[in-house]
Amino acid sequence: MWKYIVGRLVWIPFLLIAVAFITFILGRFGPGDPVEVMMGTKYDPVVAERIRSEMGLDKPVMVQFYKYIQSASKGDFGESFRFRGRSVSSLIAPKIIVSAKLSLVALLISISIGLPLGFYIAHKQGTWIDPLIVSFSVFFMSIPIMITIPFLLWIGCLKTNLVPCSGWGGIFDSRIIIPALAMGIPGVAGMLRIMRATTLDVLGQDYIRTAQSKGLHFFTVSTRHVFRNSIIPIVTILAFSLAGLLGGAFITETIMGIPGIGRFSVESIFNRDYPVIMAITLIGATAFVIANLMADISYSIIDPRIRYK
Amino acid sequence: MWICKNKLLFKVIFSSLLLIFLISCSSDSGEKNVDQFTNTSEKVLSEKKNNNNNIVSAGKQLNVLYSDPPTLDPHRAQDSTSAGIILEIYSGLVSLDTNLQIIPDIAESWAISNDGMKYTFKIRDNAKFHNGKKITSEDFIWSFNRAANPATTSITAEDYLGDIVGVQDVIDGKTDKISGIKLIDELTLEINIDSPKAYFLAKLTYPVSFVLDSENVKNKNWTDSPNGSGPFMLDEYLIGEKLLLKRNPDWYREPAKIEYVSMNLAGGQAMAMYENGEIDLTGVGMADLERVLDPSSDLNKDVVIAPLSFSQYYIGFNVQKPPFDDKYFRQALAHAINKELIATEVLSGMVKPAYGILPPGFPGYDKTIDGLKFNEQLAKDMLAKSKYSNINDLPRIILSVPGTGGSAGLDIEVIIEMWKQTLGIEVEIQQVEWATFLQMLNKQELQFFSGLGWIADYPDPENFLDINFHSTKSTNHNGYKNEEVDKLLESARIEQDLNNRMQMYNNAERIIVDEAPWIPLWFPGDRYVLINQRVKNYKLTPMSVPKYSLVEIVD
Repeated sequence: MWKYIVGRLVWIPFLLIAVAFITFILGRFGPGDPVEVMMGTKYDPVVAERIRSEMGLDKPVMVQFYKYIQSASKGDFGESFRFRGRSVSSLIAPKIIVSAKLSLVALLISISIGLPLGFYIAHKQGTWIDPLIVSFSVFFMSIPIMITIPFLLWIGCLKTNLVPCSGWGGIFDSRIIIPALAMGIPGVAGMLRIMRATTLDVLGQDYIRTAQSKGLHFFTVSTRHVFRNSIIPIVTILAFSLAGLLGGAFITETIMGIPGIGRFSVESIFNRDYPVIMAITLIGATAFVIANLMADISYSIIDPRIRYK
Repeated sequence: MWICKNKLLFKVIFSSLLLIFLISCSSDSGEKNVDQFTNTSEKVLSEKKNNNNNIVSAGKQLNVLYSDPPTLDPHRAQDSTSAGIILEIYSGLVSLDTNLQIIPDIAESWAISNDGMKYTFKIRDNAKFHNGKKITSEDFIWSFNRAANPATTSITAEDYLGDIVGVQDVIDGKTDKISGIKLIDELTLEINIDSPKAYFLAKLTYPVSFVLDSENVKNKNWTDSPNGSGPFMLDEYLIGEKLLLKRNPDWYREPAKIEYVSMNLAGGQAMAMYENGEIDLTGVGMADLERVLDPSSDLNKDVVIAPLSFSQYYIGFNVQKPPFDDKYFRQALAHAINKELIATEVLSGMVKPAYGILPPGFPGYDKTIDGLKFNEQLAKDMLAKSKYSNINDLPRIILSVPGTGGSAGLDIEVIIEMWKQTLGIEVEIQQVEWATFLQMLNKQELQFFSGLGWIADYPDPENFLDINFHSTKSTNHNGYKNEEVDKLLESARIEQDLNNRMQMYNNAERIIVDEAPWIPLWFPGDRYVLINQRVKNYKLTPMSVPKYSLVEIVD
C-alpha cells in the first residue's frame, strides 16, 4: 500500500511539468499577445518591443520555460502581466479561497439532499415516489444557472429584500445563499441518481438477501451493508468535486459579483496574463492528481477487498 | 473489525473537513479584522467631526461601483480605470478641472519662453506628500527620470513625455538622466521641449507626468501603500472586493469635503444595487431607460444627463485591401447607411449620428463638415463609378468585430442589411476574441472592422486626427496614406497660432472624411446617469479628471 502511494507521488512532478509545458507552449504560440492587450488600440511596435524585452518575452521559448519552472519550483509564480507590479500568488490565493468556500457550500447542499434522497427512493422503487422525485431533480438539473440565479434574485432580493442582490462576505454571510443554492441544487440530481442506481445494484446482491434472511434489523442492513457498499462510486465523484472546488464557477461569480477564481481565470485568459493562467492550471492539475490518489486510497478503506500492490 | 475501519473512514472525512474549516476560518478572521478596523476608524472620525465643524460632510462616504485598477503606479498606467483612482491619489504640475481647462496643481504658475520651447514651473511652497514630506523640484526630476527609465516599462512615456528634450535617450537606455529637465532652485523647474507644441501642457496632466516619492517607490509592493500627493489617500485595497479612499486633510489645495470614497470592486448588477441603496450612482442601460425616464417613477428625480464623452464609434477600412482600395466603393458604402434611422429606432437615441471625425464640443470641432450623408442614389452612383461596379466580381467581404458575445451589435446588423438592400452587397460578419482581434488589427490583417471606438486622451485634435490618420502612426490601422493630409498634420503639430492650427486640422479632417478610410458612425448621445439625491456637486465629465474632492454629501 505505502509503496503504491509513494510510487504514485513520484510521478506527480513529471505530470505537472508536462502540464506546465503544454500550457506554456499554447500560450506562447496561440493567437494574441499580452503586450498588445496591455496597449489596446494604441499599439506602438517600438514601445511594445521595449516592454517585451524588459519582461523577458523576447527570449527563446525554451529559455523562458526553463526560467519559469526554476522559479515556480521555489513557489514563485512571477508577476502578473495585467495587474502590473503584483505577484501572482498574492492575486490568486484569496480568489481560490473564495471560490472554494462557495463551491464547498454548494457541494454540501448537493450531498446533503442528494445522498439521503437517492438512498430513500431506491427503496421505493416501483412506487410513484421514485419517478416523481427523479423527474423533479432532473427538472432542476436541466435549468441553466443563467435562469436560476436571476429567478432567485428576483424572489430573494428584489421582491422580498431578504438578501442583498450581489457581493460576497464569506460562508457565514447571507449573500452566499443565492449563489450556493443556484450551484448546489442542479448537483442534487447527479448525486441522487448515482446513489439510487448503486443502492439498487447493492440491494439486488446475494449478501443483502443473506443478511435479511439472517433476520437482521432493517436499519442494520441498510447502514452496515447497503449504504457502505453503495457509497463507493460516490467517493470518486466527491474527490473530483473537491478538486473542482478550486476551479470556481465563472457564470455564478460574474452575475453575483463574487471575487472568485472562475471569473478571474477567464479574465486572465482574455488578457493573455500568462503567469496567472500558468499558476491556475498548475494548482488545478495538482489538485486533480491528489484527489485521484485520495479516491483510490479511500476505496481500499471503504471496501477492504480492493487492494493495491 | 468494522469499528476499526469505520474509525479510519471517519478520520479521513474528519481531517478533510477540519482542513476545509481551517481554511475558511483563517480567511474569515482576516475579513473580520478588516471590518473591525474600519469600525474603529469610523469611531475616530465621528470624534474628529465634533471638533472640526468646518468640514461640510465629515464622516460621509460616497459609494460607487468600480472595477479593479490594473495598476496604481501612475507611470505605468494607461487605462481610464486606473486613471480614475490615480488622479485622486497622486498629482502633477498641472491638472484639468471639471470643465477640462488646464489649471495649476503642484505648480502654482509657469512661464513659457517666446519660442515656445522652454517652460519654467514654480512649485507651490505648501505642496506635500501624504506623509507630510515637502515636494520639491528634485522630486519631479526623479519622477520624470523614473517614468522614462526602461525598467519602469511605461507604455505611455514616449507619447506623453517624448516631446521633452532627452526623454527618448533615457527610454532607449542611452543615459539615465533626462537632459531637457533642469533644476533651477528648490521650487523652480525648467522643462525644454524639442519644438513649440501647443498641446504639451495638456500632456502634463496625464499620470505618467505625476510626482512620486522616491523613498516610497523603493518599497516592495509600494502601490499598496502609496505616498501620493492628491486629495485622497489609499486607505484599504482588497483586490476584487473593495478599495477605500480617505480624505487627505492637509492637501495643498482645498481639501475634499467627504471623508471616504468606497469603491465596490466585486461587480454585480448596477441598477439593482442602486435601487437597493448600495451605490450612489450608476449609468442607465437601454433596458432600464424607459422605466427611469417615466416621470411617475421614483428613480426619475435622480436622473442626470451626462455630457457627451469625446469618443467616436466607426467602421474602419483597410484601404490597402480590395475592395476597400477604391475610394468610390468606400463612399458608396457610407452613403448607403441611414444613420438617423438607426440612431432613433434601433439605438433608442442613445447615440448621435457622426459625419465628421472630431466630436461636438471638442477643440477644433467644425459643424460645417457635412460628411457623407445618407443618399441611396448617390450610393448607387458611387458604386457604378468604382472599379467594383459589377458586384458579381467582388471579393468575399468579411467585417471583423471584437468580442465573444455572438452578436456584432444591432447597429452593425442593420447596416449590413442596408448595404444588401441598397447596393446588393453581401457582407459576412466574423467575431474575433479581443486579444486575437488586436493582433490582427495591428498587423493590418483585417479587411474591415467595427466595434471599435476612439476615445480622446487629451482635448486636442492631434489626439484624434494625427494619431489615427497620419501615414507613419502605428495607430493608423487603415493603411491610410495621403500626402496632403500628412503635410497638414505635421504643420499643425508645431503651429503656434491657434486659429491657423485649427484651420489646418479642419482641412485635414475634410479630406479624411471625403476619402472615407473610416465611416464615422456614432458620437455618444445623451447618457443618462442616476445620482442619489444625497450626493451634491458630482461632476460628470467627458474625460477622466480628479473630481471626488468637490463632492458633498447631505442627509
